[in-house]
Amino acid sequence: MNGWLLGVTVLLIGGLAPALWLACTGGIARRLVGLELAGAITVLAMVLVAQGFSQPVYLIVPAVLVLLSFAGTLVYTRLLGVREEEP
Amino acid sequence: MIVALAGVLVVVAAAIAALRPRKPLARLHFLTVVTSLGAPLVGLGVIIANGWSLTTAGVALITVLLVATGPVLSAASGRLIERLDE
Repeated sequence: MNGWLLGVTVLLIGGLAPALWLACTGGIARRLVGLELAGAITVLAMVLVAQGFSQPVYLIVPAVLVLLSFAGTLVYTRLLGVREEEP
Repeated sequence: MIVALAGVLVVVAAAIAALRPRKPLARLHFLTVVTSLGAPLVGLGVIIANGWSLTTAGVALITVLLVATGPVLSAASGRLIERLDE
């Protein structure tokens, strides 16, 4: 295991685990923040995975994920806002 | 690699600290730390390790996208959370 993969391990255990905990428990706002946090941390972990295995091709995964995470979270904020406005 | 590991530590510290606040708006501050400080540090560390190459361009693109979209998501989430609190 090289230093990059050690960084991935630390990121997944120390960063993604709290983010998933936020995303899976509590109210709507708490879960939304957890989802955003998990998306950002996963993108960074994937970048480090590509570097750790010396496979630049793997970078397509975080490149797509960062765009999907952005669009997906905006959809969530939109739909949750609409749901809240309903009588 | 030191720069990237510093970014990893920043991200981990922010994620753990995000568990503490009771108000969701306060949690958003820690998300901003991840996208504005942690992500550039990790990206910079990988870029320094690779030198000038196509990989560097890819990592730079991902980092710029993450840094650029972070504040937009935080603003959208903040507006929603404020509306939910009313």
